[in-house]
Amino acid sequence: MNSSTKEEGQMKTKEILETKSSRRAFMKKLSIAAAAGSAGLVTGGCVSLESSEEMGLKWEEYFKKNYRLMTQEEKDETVARLERLFKLQHNENVQISNQEPQENVLFGYAFNISRCKGYMDCVEACVQENNLDRKAKTQYIRIFEMEPGQLDPTSGDGKYHHEVPVENKFYMGVQCYHCENAPCTKACPTKATWREPDGIIVVDYDWCIGCRYCLAACPYWGRRFNWGEPEVAEEEITKKQHYLGNRMRMKGVMEKCTFCIQRTRQGKLPACAEACPTGSRVFGNLLDPNSEIRYVLKHKKVFRFKEELGTDPKFWYFID
Amino acid sequence: MTTNPQKGISAFVSDCMRWALSGGIGFKIYLVALLTVIGVGAFAYIKQFQEGLIITGMSDIVSWGLYISNFTFFVGVAAAAVMLIVPAYILKDKDLHEVVIIGECVAVGALIMCLMFITMDMGGPFKVWHMMPIIGLFNWPSSILTWDVLVLNGYLALNSLVPLYILYCNYHNRAPVGWKYKPFVFLSIFWAVSIHMTTAFLYQGLPARPFWNNPLLGPRFLASAFAAGPAVIMMVLIVIKQKTQYPVDIQIFFKLKRIIVVSAIINLLMLFSEIFKEFYTFTHHSLSAQYLFFGLDGHDSLVPWIWTAIGLNILGTLLFSFDPTKCNPRYLMVAAISLFTGIWIEKGFGLIIPGFIPSPMGEVVDYSPTTNEILITLGVLATGILVVTLLIKPALAILIKFKKATA
Amino acid sequence: MKKLFFCSSLLFLVLGMVLTSRQTAMASGSSVMDHILAADEPFDNRTIESAHALPVKTVQAKESYQGGTFRVLARKDSITRFRCSVCHTDKVVQVRDGVLFTHGDIEINHGRGNDKLACIECHDEDDRDFLSDAEGKKIDFDHSYQLCGQCHFRPKRDWLGGAHGKRVTYWAGERVVQNCTNCHSPHAPAFATKMPVTYSLPLDE
Repeated sequence: MNSSTKEEGQMKTKEILETKSSRRAFMKKLSIAAAAGSAGLVTGGCVSLESSEEMGLKWEEYFKKNYRLMTQEEKDETVARLERLFKLQHNENVQISNQEPQENVLFGYAFNISRCKGYMDCVEACVQENNLDRKAKTQYIRIFEMEPGQLDPTSGDGKYHHEVPVENKFYMGVQCYHCENAPCTKACPTKATWREPDGIIVVDYDWCIGCRYCLAACPYWGRRFNWGEPEVAEEEITKKQHYLGNRMRMKGVMEKCTFCIQRTRQGKLPACAEACPTGSRVFGNLLDPNSEIRYVLKHKKVFRFKEELGTDPKFWYFID
Repeated sequence: MTTNPQKGISAFVSDCMRWALSGGIGFKIYLVALLTVIGVGAFAYIKQFQEGLIITGMSDIVSWGLYISNFTFFVGVAAAAVMLIVPAYILKDKDLHEVVIIGECVAVGALIMCLMFITMDMGGPFKVWHMMPIIGLFNWPSSILTWDVLVLNGYLALNSLVPLYILYCNYHNRAPVGWKYKPFVFLSIFWAVSIHMTTAFLYQGLPARPFWNNPLLGPRFLASAFAAGPAVIMMVLIVIKQKTQYPVDIQIFFKLKRIIVVSAIINLLMLFSEIFKEFYTFTHHSLSAQYLFFGLDGHDSLVPWIWTAIGLNILGTLLFSFDPTKCNPRYLMVAAISLFTGIWIEKGFGLIIPGFIPSPMGEVVDYSPTTNEILITLGVLATGILVVTLLIKPALAILIKFKKATA
Repeated sequence: MKKLFFCSSLLFLVLGMVLTSRQTAMASGSSVMDHILAADEPFDNRTIESAHALPVKTVQAKESYQGGTFRVLARKDSITRFRCSVCHTDKVVQVRDGVLFTHGDIEINHGRGNDKLACIECHDEDDRDFLSDAEGKKIDFDHSYQLCGQCHFRPKRDWLGGAHGKRVTYWAGERVVQNCTNCHSPHAPAFATKMPVTYSLPLDE
């Protein structure tokens, strides 16, 4: 494969030299040729099938910066490239947003453990909305069936598959808690995961090197790794995406719950909260004293999981 | 070996390469065998690179496995060179000064293995430039992993450049100039401690994993490293003594043995202290230890390994402590292999895997490496051994030549 | 040589202390609760322009939320045979399908134990297009929360505040919440027992 690519690249360079075009065009074409030569290295796949446009895009994508260091212009460019790449690879249009956080918004979540019935509609909605790998059955949310007399999900049953709710048991959902003092962001050697100003902990999938130190550092098992190439049936792909959210991941990178950043930044509820048939999930702006989540914090007795670790999660459990 | 070396760097390089590769038929077979293992490992890695880490035994629950286990252990081996450097350069011990270069070669080999294991474990090895200072985005000082990158590469540089300078001088029949390399020797002493402490902090600093979040981890890393590392060096020295004409004084074995005994006893003491803490008051933070030593919820894949490791550990320590043969090489070889293997299992597999089990959500699963994973690991180990061999051979040749010239 | 040794150890000590102090400074931040409680300026949810009006019918609630107004999902359109007064009049009605026309398909499972509620405890006896509370005050079907809340006053209080029930689609924009009867069947308000929609790995075989 590689040798044929190299030949292709050399041929292209030759052609270009013969046409004697302007310097600028020459440089551009040269970069495409170089891309052709090295794309085999980067993708390790069937290079000869790819168009030169695709290889050029991949080449530019490979050398882009960390998302946080990009100017608005560069963000727009990378989003355009990613949309184009998806079009080339799947012949399907996706919209990838790079919407910025809103001022005076800090997202928080509350979970009513006396209301949850363990139906798992939230889990399924999350899988659909966030384009989670169907092959590896990746899930961001887990629901634990709890015996009375306990409040620690680690002693619950996270693998139940029977009619719910079971009498005298209660249900407790866990996911990424978007800690204010997140151990995962501290651990990342490349700053590929960070806290956004609206409190969401995100991952720049293209910047992550896949060392999985964040996974080891997370005390809540809130992060997932793409061990293989993720697979989602084309008709099931959620087309409205966000750069830091549900856009398609690749193998060898971390991913996690983003409070459905593609939805919540537009004022919508996360998919889990919208899907919940029991109203156990309360989501809102913590900086708004009139928000539902603030009502819960003020009027309910709340607790947080593993609070002793000082991670300061923005996810509270409460009881009616 | 050579009679009249020409001056200059190119002659140095070409002579070194010649010395490194020359040898009898046995040596040739040995090289071919190593290269075969490396080739198989490389092939296995290509497969892993194409399909992703999914072909390893790792999962979201046990997210580090054989690679990181071995990485952790070989950092210790690399750090152990300091146990020769301190007596040789600071305490001015003549005997150990003779073999300090071997310790440094072993350290270089171990470090190369460490860096390779880290690369094998990465999801996106081509994106590694993201982690480089300046061109990438280096999360320093917040991430302990960046510290580890710095100290490992720094130690590699120190441990290759100092011996290189000394050998280069010796090659040209002159003694190295003290002020040119001594400061770096002192630096490397601190650095050796720091590579192992930093690697321990990598785990120790994670409250998410109570099994690791233990202030004794760093010191115990050092103690076990200072037992296992000199054990490796001793094994290498025994081979050198038997296969080459380089003189290895019996005193060296006595001194190495003393170092190993002290470290191994401290290591066992700390192990006992940890076991006491885990099991005297059994909290749910002790579940990992329970899994490691006795099994948990019907999962017990590590139990035979850890007891073998502890057995070998104690056996090795006893063999070294009560040596009736007065440093018979064969006896020492058995003792060194037993201690080395014991610590390898205990500090590699026995430390990394239980840290993930049970998961922070209480799940218990077993981890066992796949064939592909084992082949890659063997390939890396073979690379390390090859590097050590190809470094030691020319080094010894130069030292012998220098001795003859100065005698 | 010894001097050099001490100097370098001193250097390491100082370096270590500097770096540790920096880490400690990072760790000793204030809790997120301090940050949250310090925010007492109401946030105008309407500044988020992408929170559009819902495509379904809503009505302005006859209660207040945090001193302001809010909307609930309208119910009357979802009731299959509304208006009830089409049948429930003084005129004689021909009954063909008896079960259907006598509401025989409705099983009431509302109330404690054997003490089930009767129809007219919620439905207005005279004007079937309305509900009526214990005092006989007519209540619109769209505002059934007024009726439910007379017994279930604590869930209603939580519902008004936002700890019970849920908002529809948006956390921003004008507050629109589900009506009681969107989730709870008024005739059998408890949630059913059923299989979960999916399962979690690792699944025990």
